[in-house]
Amino acid sequence: MLQCIFLLSDSGEVMLEKQLTGHRVDRSICAWFWDQSLSQGDSFKSLPVIASPTHYLFQIVRDGITFLACSQVEMPPLMAIEFLCRVADVLSDYLGGVNEDLIKDNFIIVYELLDEMIDNGFPLTTEPSILREMIAPPNLVSKMLSVVTGNASNVSDTLPSGAGSCVPWRPTDPKYSSNEVYVDLVEEMDAIVNRDGELVKCEIYGEVQMNSQLTGFPDLTLSFANPSILEDMRFHPCVRFRPWESHQVLSFVPPDGEFKLMSYRVKKLKNTPVYVKPQITSDLGTCRVSVLVGIRSDPGKAIESITLSFQLPHCVSSADLSSNHGTVTILSNKTCTWTIGRIPKDKTPCLSGTLALETGLERLHVFPTFKLGFKIMGIALSGLRIEKLDLQTLPPRLYKGFRAQTRAGEFDVRL
Amino acid sequence: MFNQFGSTSETLSKASAVVLRIGTDAHLYDDPEDVNIAPLLDSKFESEKCEALKRLLALIAQGFDVSNFFPQVVKNVASQSSEVKKLVYLYLLQYAEKRPNEALLSINYFQKDLGDPNPLVRAWALRTMAGIRLHVIAPLALAAVSKCARDPAVYVRKCAANALPKLHDLRLEEHAPAIEEIVGILLNDHSPGVVGAAAAAFTSICPNNFELIRKNYKKLCQILPDVEEWGQILLIGILLRYVVARHGLVRESLMLSLHGMDSNGFCEKDGLVRDLTLDKEDGGKSDSFDVNLVNVVSKCYIEGPDEYLSRSSCPDTVTSAFDSKETTSIAHNEDVKILLQCTSPLLWSNNSAVVLAAAGVQWIMAPLEDVKKIVKPLLFLLRSSSASKYVVLCNILVFAKAAPSLFAPHFENFFICSSDAYQVKAHKLEMLSLIATASSITSILREFDDYIKDPDRRFAADTIAAIGLCAKRLPTIPTTCLDGLLALVRQESFAGDPESVDGEAGVLVQAVMSIQTIIERDPDSHDKVIIQLFRSLDSIKVAAARATIIWMVGVYCSLGPIIPRMLTTLTKYLAWSFKSEASETKLQILNTTAKVLISAKVDDFQMLKRIMVYMLELGECDLSYDIRDRTRFLKKLLSCKLASNEPTEDSVASQENIAVHVVEHVFGRKLKPFTPVALNDRFYLPGSLSQIVLHAAPGYEPLPKPCSFVFEEHDQLSDLDRQREAGAELDGSQESSETGDEDGSSDYDTESSVGSEFSSDDNERKVSNDASDPAAPLIQISDTSVSADQEELRSKRALDLWLDDQPSTSNQTPSAVNSNQSSYAKISIGDIGSRVKPKSYSLLDPGNGSGLKVDYAFLSEVSTVSPLHVCVEVLFENSSGEPILDVNLEDEESMKVADSSEQTLVGKANASYNNVPTLIPLEEISCLEPRQSAKRLIQVRFHHHLLPMRLTLHYNGKKVPVKLRPDLGYLVKPFSMSIEEFLATESRLPGMFEYSRRCTFDDHVKDSRMENGKDKFLSICECITLKVLSNSNLHLVSVDLPVANTLEDATGLRLRFGSKILSSEIPLLITITVQGKCTEVLNLTVKINCEETVFGLNLLNRIANFMVEPSSLTS
Repeated sequence: MLQCIFLLSDSGEVMLEKQLTGHRVDRSICAWFWDQSLSQGDSFKSLPVIASPTHYLFQIVRDGITFLACSQVEMPPLMAIEFLCRVADVLSDYLGGVNEDLIKDNFIIVYELLDEMIDNGFPLTTEPSILREMIAPPNLVSKMLSVVTGNASNVSDTLPSGAGSCVPWRPTDPKYSSNEVYVDLVEEMDAIVNRDGELVKCEIYGEVQMNSQLTGFPDLTLSFANPSILEDMRFHPCVRFRPWESHQVLSFVPPDGEFKLMSYRVKKLKNTPVYVKPQITSDLGTCRVSVLVGIRSDPGKAIESITLSFQLPHCVSSADLSSNHGTVTILSNKTCTWTIGRIPKDKTPCLSGTLALETGLERLHVFPTFKLGFKIMGIALSGLRIEKLDLQTLPPRLYKGFRAQTRAGEFDVRL
Repeated sequence: MFNQFGSTSETLSKASAVVLRIGTDAHLYDDPEDVNIAPLLDSKFESEKCEALKRLLALIAQGFDVSNFFPQVVKNVASQSSEVKKLVYLYLLQYAEKRPNEALLSINYFQKDLGDPNPLVRAWALRTMAGIRLHVIAPLALAAVSKCARDPAVYVRKCAANALPKLHDLRLEEHAPAIEEIVGILLNDHSPGVVGAAAAAFTSICPNNFELIRKNYKKLCQILPDVEEWGQILLIGILLRYVVARHGLVRESLMLSLHGMDSNGFCEKDGLVRDLTLDKEDGGKSDSFDVNLVNVVSKCYIEGPDEYLSRSSCPDTVTSAFDSKETTSIAHNEDVKILLQCTSPLLWSNNSAVVLAAAGVQWIMAPLEDVKKIVKPLLFLLRSSSASKYVVLCNILVFAKAAPSLFAPHFENFFICSSDAYQVKAHKLEMLSLIATASSITSILREFDDYIKDPDRRFAADTIAAIGLCAKRLPTIPTTCLDGLLALVRQESFAGDPESVDGEAGVLVQAVMSIQTIIERDPDSHDKVIIQLFRSLDSIKVAAARATIIWMVGVYCSLGPIIPRMLTTLTKYLAWSFKSEASETKLQILNTTAKVLISAKVDDFQMLKRIMVYMLELGECDLSYDIRDRTRFLKKLLSCKLASNEPTEDSVASQENIAVHVVEHVFGRKLKPFTPVALNDRFYLPGSLSQIVLHAAPGYEPLPKPCSFVFEEHDQLSDLDRQREAGAELDGSQESSETGDEDGSSDYDTESSVGSEFSSDDNERKVSNDASDPAAPLIQISDTSVSADQEELRSKRALDLWLDDQPSTSNQTPSAVNSNQSSYAKISIGDIGSRVKPKSYSLLDPGNGSGLKVDYAFLSEVSTVSPLHVCVEVLFENSSGEPILDVNLEDEESMKVADSSEQTLVGKANASYNNVPTLIPLEEISCLEPRQSAKRLIQVRFHHHLLPMRLTLHYNGKKVPVKLRPDLGYLVKPFSMSIEEFLATESRLPGMFEYSRRCTFDDHVKDSRMENGKDKFLSICECITLKVLSNSNLHLVSVDLPVANTLEDATGLRLRFGSKILSSEIPLLITITVQGKCTEVLNLTVKINCEETVFGLNLLNRIANFMVEPSSLTS
């Protein structure tokens, strides 16, 4: 089981340590860790499980903050990693993001949260809704209150009612004057276009996100018009497995507030909404680049915030790129971003320019990969449709809302 | 003016920053020591205490030692504010181990908090108290945990489960049984949250105590989907281990089903890796599995490090390790079926760790055709966070190595995204090269083609290595691969100065090595490729790549018609470039030239010899000592060759002949055609840490040995009811009539099989004594009337309902109630005395004793000889047709001393000094007529309370050794005490002197008296008392009746018994608490308070066992 959790800032400073068991872990382990990650670089930083001379380390990095957990004995490594991810999620939910200042400013809350989330190296309460009842998130009102009155405890005196119930994700009896439930289909398109311009892989990773504000103990049923297109899925613990197995219906008692009901994958899509046509020719130490971006198949809704970013190869010494639409920025680490926005009706956006290679190189032999970003509101590109959302007992004044959106996930266009 | 504005804006921005941070604890973190902390801690305002504690925590967070504030902080534990309390607890846990004495000060407050009505306060107190980790308070903490394990609040019970590993960590041996018992209780909890935490406790405390799991197996399976995700991860592992230990592996599973094929001739001769392609008609599976690897994997899952080491020392014995006895079939095994059923929906879990754990179970246990259902969920995990992606990939790799066909259709999932981390990319490449098939290889190669142009050159080099592997696996593609690779070599070698870009060198080396790998498979058909490589030698600048090519020159120097003709030119070129080479290349040049020389033809020999001599001269004065050494070695070795003028010369002395042979052997050896796959790879259980770090992490345990867990049939049967009952409770909808039927039949089963076991195994038998038997142990029956035989029982809070004005009558037994005790309402339980029958055991079977049958029963009378002796009544019965003469029973030890009749006295005298168990002998029976029986009283002193005593039985001049087994229940004597004394003594024996166990009790259900309108509580009391007193020598102190609102619920009924241990006079208190409904099987909690821990625990087990035993005395 986990023995200790450290939070490291992006400069390697130990901001927080929380010992979990009697076997104390010295913070020198963090110094070792940081030395290694400095000397070995990125490949060490992306290694989630590390066998150090004294401990096994599990690390995740979230917005520059390294969450480091130590163990000396066999334990499921994914359990440690998932737990650290959960801690990071909860912290960024509480603090509105994670960064060095936020964590230092709210270190008491971080301590209190960690203490509730893990006991003796084993996760205790990780359900966000219950944690919120146990430890009040910092907000402006409570801050002001603490300034004015001098004391405002953020630790609850009573045990949240959900902690003991058979639906631990839901407080027992929330009350709302207007009952609302919103369902969002949020999809991400993962695609790979290879150097021949061929669509090698195109699939949708989607999430059904819900925001439920319902009184009492509602029992919901959500069904899809075409569940057969779903390739894989994963469910929130509240979803009952039986109804899904028998007739592909989601039956559940929802948590209160926002949550992710399920995630799914739809594979083997045939088309992408946007095309990217990069061309590069190199001769005598200079390369000519031209990239065209346009709409391949109109989804019927506006495609917004199109961006294209790529990493210039190391051997490029300087770049001169310009576009006929949108803006191009090149950062010092050779990351080039072309922000297009919406595609205009009258012309095809085009990025063109030259790259100068380092002396001695005649032509480019490594090629960058373009990452495409876009967003389409109001449509789920997978074609998944929600049929209906039923409540077993209809509360008064129920409002149901559905939305959908698609954005680019890992959309790689290779040159 | 402007300056002023500037400064204002500066202050404004400062101010806004301050405003933003107002109300946070920022200032405390930045400057924790800007005020004096100590007075704040003593402040009377909660807010100031709070601030002080926050400052201390800030210091802890920054790594300072602030343990010197300990005494002041501990004082604040009494605070009413929840925040102060929480902060104090956080501080306490950090430093309690350093300051044990001060930490003890806080214990009282914890004890107080444990009784708090607020469950959160109780939980916090418990967590902190257990977390303090001091040996001194371990008994208190254990008591607290066992109390909280029965807390009404789920959260508190959950915390109790989490506290158990903390106590276990202290390694206090005497607490181990109690801790394990609490684990059992919590595993049996009805709340999924508690079960999850209990699973964690189980894993870290007693992972091999399968008995606990067996009791609840079905229930645990049913509750699994509702358990919290973290608990699920561990519970899945526990259930898997249990099923393997109990039933073994599944015959139809991937792990075992391939064993058969291995011997059925699917084995191909030329390689260890083979594709098992079964015909489409043959069950429709055309899967390919790496049989040997599957064998190795399944073996690795089971065997520990010792076995692994012993196996790896003799690697040839890759035989089937599994006995067919140790396997099970899914079709017949309910437990396996349930396990697979309850874990398969978890493949949809939101938590990657749960999915992986569930996939691991399916991988090991599921039938071959069902294994494929883990594929999609596992692949979906690849879309989660990058950290878990890596771990999942590591596990998928093992699966794919053993069963590439599972993943082969899904190769697109392993295409690489630019955002993948390097390790993930490397693993994906390995996956792709593993699962590539003839149909997918074209797409995969096209992907590889893209990857080679990736800016990350290390990744590009890996890709090239993967191409080599693919080409090696799939015989159809090498030509296409080779063309590509050769083009790459040419391109790379012309791509300018390779020294400038570090990665390029790697790519080139890897390309050459991949080409080499491909050629190695079939060198004869690739001689043109080899020649091309040789030609490009001049343009290749990277030392490692050159070295490889030069090495190939040596290896393939006699291949085909063209290469041998190139050799002289090549070696000349090498000699010319020798000076400018890197030392790595120089070594290869020397070796290669030697090889070329050995295999040289006659016409080239002189030339080559001259080159060799030249190079040896160069090498001898090289800067690197490695090269100088190598040169000298070669010079010596080749001296015979260099001296001769012909490549093959036989007319040399025999000594030189040997040298020639040596040279031939060293340099003339051809490559082995194929390197076998390393079968000694170690694999670890899927999802384990060890599988990721590739060594056995401390605490890693392989699966238990198949069928290593066997338990006594007796237990199983008596447990059957309970288990099915749990099932029935959960099912609920089951028809009542059906349940009734089942009950009836299984009751019958239980009794009959128990009976048979008793007669066969233990040689024990229950005999119902005659009613006229004068030796009823506890309550002496006066012969007046049945109604007069009444046992007075006292109750603290008895109700009018059970008041009975019968005065106490004839109680002359040691357990007689003292008449001048303060009066309470009295309960009278009817004619219990007449029904108390001591259990009788058989000492000698008439079959063995030629008609003489000897039984014995323990008496409750106190021995007249010494307090250490136990009175045993021995019943001799002649069931033969002839009289038996001179029957006597003697101690075996005393037999050895002498034969005279006085020796018994001597023996007795010795006994009071030695520890030898002694026997106060009985009066010899001179003659026992047929059908006659005789009773004798012996007094025995047992040496140990568990070990049987060896006696010798004489009759008809024969000696027969017999064993007299002590009954723990009679190694105590009744201790008459009042309820106040009892409670006072009990309170002096808390913590480690208190142990409890649960058991079930069902005598009252079978008791026919239940029907005649008698009060149910009374009859339950009666049944329990009867059972206890029939099996042990105790004094009933009091009975607490439940103040329940329903007459059905017997929960709260409590019986107290007092006794002293015979040998040491140490008081031993027994409390039996009843839970459950009157008409159903009751759950009893038996608690013993006694200083003599070992004896107490043994007695506790004894009581729990006999309470469960079906009674034969109920008639």
